Amino acid sequence: MSAAKLARAWLALALGLAAAIAGAQQSSEPAVKAAFLYKFAGYVEWPVPPQPDAPFVIATLAGEDVAAELARILPGRAIAGRPAVVRTVREGEPLAGVQMLFVGRRVPDPRAAIRAAQQQGVLTVTETSLDSGAAINFLVAESRVSFEVSLEAAERSGHRISSRMLAVARRVLPKGAP
Amino acid sequence: MRLRLNLPAFVERSLRRKVTALVLAITVLSLGLAAGALMFYDLRAYERQFSSDLLTQAEVLGRAAAPALSFNDPRTAEKDLSVMQARPRVLAAALYTREGRLFATYTRPRVTAPAFPVSAAGEGYAIADGRMEVYKSVAENNERVGTVYILGVYDPWDHLKDYLAILLLVMVASLAVAAFLSGWLQAAVTAPILEVASVSHQVMEKRDYSLRVHRTTDDEIGELVDAFNAMLAEIGRRAEALRSADQRKDEFLATLAHELRNPLAPIRNALEILRLAGNDPVKAEKAREMMQRQVGQLVRLVDDLIDVSRITTGKLAVRKVVFDLRSALRDAVETARPFIDSRRHALDVRLPREPLPVDGDTTRLAQVFSNLLNNAAKYTEPGGRIELAAGREGKEIVVSVSDNGIGLAADSIPLIFDMFMQVDRSLDRAQAGLGVGLTLSRTLVELHQGTIEVSSPGKGQGSTFTVRLPASYTRLEDTTGPAGRGANETPGKRVLLADDNADFVNSLGQLLTSRGHEVRIAYDGAEALEAAREFRPEVAFLDIGMPKVHGYDVARRMRDESATAHCMLVAVTGWGQEGDRAQARAAGFDRHLVKPVDPSEIEAILESSA
Repeated sequence: MSAAKLARAWLALALGLAAAIAGAQQSSEPAVKAAFLYKFAGYVEWPVPPQPDAPFVIATLAGEDVAAELARILPGRAIAGRPAVVRTVREGEPLAGVQMLFVGRRVPDPRAAIRAAQQQGVLTVTETSLDSGAAINFLVAESRVSFEVSLEAAERSGHRISSRMLAVARRVLPKGAP
Repeated sequence: MRLRLNLPAFVERSLRRKVTALVLAITVLSLGLAAGALMFYDLRAYERQFSSDLLTQAEVLGRAAAPALSFNDPRTAEKDLSVMQARPRVLAAALYTREGRLFATYTRPRVTAPAFPVSAAGEGYAIADGRMEVYKSVAENNERVGTVYILGVYDPWDHLKDYLAILLLVMVASLAVAAFLSGWLQAAVTAPILEVASVSHQVMEKRDYSLRVHRTTDDEIGELVDAFNAMLAEIGRRAEALRSADQRKDEFLATLAHELRNPLAPIRNALEILRLAGNDPVKAEKAREMMQRQVGQLVRLVDDLIDVSRITTGKLAVRKVVFDLRSALRDAVETARPFIDSRRHALDVRLPREPLPVDGDTTRLAQVFSNLLNNAAKYTEPGGRIELAAGREGKEIVVSVSDNGIGLAADSIPLIFDMFMQVDRSLDRAQAGLGVGLTLSRTLVELHQGTIEVSSPGKGQGSTFTVRLPASYTRLEDTTGPAGRGANETPGKRVLLADDNADFVNSLGQLLTSRGHEVRIAYDGAEALEAAREFRPEVAFLDIGMPKVHGYDVARRMRDESATAHCMLVAVTGWGQEGDRAQARAAGFDRHLVKPVDPSEIEAILESSA
């Protein structure tokens, strides 16, 4: 019993140490958003691609800091059984092979880009407002990152989002809403 | 090593209580052990089951709360945790982030919030103070997202209550069965044993060996009862045998006293006659003859007594040489003749022409047959007929003594060879004897590997004694008589006699002188040594218990001196034990004689020393 307690205490210490390091790294907003982007992928049903071993691509538009965090966490991880990679795109650039697109707040009017992405079956995420027509939008309140979901927008790009994820969304716009 | 249990006194004294105590003790012990083992097992099983139950709940909770953890949403997480309200045994629950920080908590309503651990521990469970806490890590999409913590009420004793109640019931039922069984055991096992104990008690009290225990079972106890009964029968037989032997001994003593006193009256009369006779040689001669007869009777009685003591102490020994049994038979006839003649019996002796070689003691076998002849003469009315016949039958020599006397009843035949047995107590006391003759005869015959038996057609129809002895293979010269080598052929010897009993040594000295020996007499050890030095005897008979110098010392010193070193030394003692003989040999004696000494033994030694 005492050995088990000791082991548990040691484990707690080790975890605490890890948490201290991770906390220092994740405290930044882009890091949290990058982690959320990766986690969103786990709650979405993805269509089977033409080439099963093609990489799962998360593209960023005007979000270099988020792209940098993604480039740090994605290597070695898989989404839907495929290796996950990040790609930085410019406005108007074709989105072939991209599954998810993050649009940074520095894009003045993301509507066109989002619509184009949705037409190509890409799940869109913004950090401004759902008004831009994105499926998911990041919210930041009291330095805590959360998100909201538009089921209508997700449907437009042909994605279905798990109700378990919706349960923790700050706001969910049902179908039929703009 | 023996285990000794200190039982209470009331149990110690009763077999029945011991059996009951044993049965009950075994029952309680085995049930107790079984219950202990089952409870131990049940507690372990309960712990396993309860912990796996809590871990499963933690898993379910973790799955539900995984998105909240993933997206850092404590409020949703607390909502997720609150489903634990459905589990009354769960007191509190908590979620920890992947890094181990406390993320969300739930405490059961109306329960004081426990002190949640500040950080999560590894997976597993722990029990303390009637509580069980479990940790279960939460994974989502193959990523560890945090840890679930659940604190539940853990009360195995509550669970065991029913168990103990059942156990108590079983215990009571088992004790009842055990009590019943021990009752049955008592009836089957202890009751017969108790009966044996009670009968043995009665036997000890009443000295009644005819009591028997009734056998009720066919098992070992039945055998015990049979053995006990057989032992009682045996003890009864022995008690009876002892009683009758004792009675015979009493009768023997009475007879002995009478027999020893009988010759004394005529001897006293003869002495009176001698005193009064003065110079009348005829009267004096008659008196002497009478005394000689009566002394002869006394000697015979005392010889019998000595033989009795030798038989009872097992010291009767025979000195075997190969000889012709016919000579012993002739000696026996010669000895018995006067008595047979005095009863006016006709004696018919039939001996074969060829020798009857036997490996045995001449004197003792002659004694056997003279006993049988005397017996025949005694138990036949005067004027009867006695027949002595001998012959060879294969490897045996058979001698029979028959008479036409009073005979024997069939039931007294097996008893006739017993010590002190006398068939006809009405017989004239003057002829009765001590009743040891036949016992002695049988013992002597058996010492020669022979048998003796008696047959009789019935009372008043005479009887026949038959002795069978193994024949010797050594061939013998056909001699006409045993006295072929006369005493006159032996040249005279120088003989030293030393004994403090003057009468014995003087009379023996006269006897030996009359046989042509040169005799010197000494009355103590010192005298004996002096005489030995100047007389240089060829044979010396030394008493052991002599004054001044002990017989052993005399022998040693004579051996040391060259003049007497080769003298034949004969020890004469009252003790014939093997130890005494060994001591005499060690002192240097060649031979050993036990008192009373028969003159014929001395004569035999003098002859052999040639």
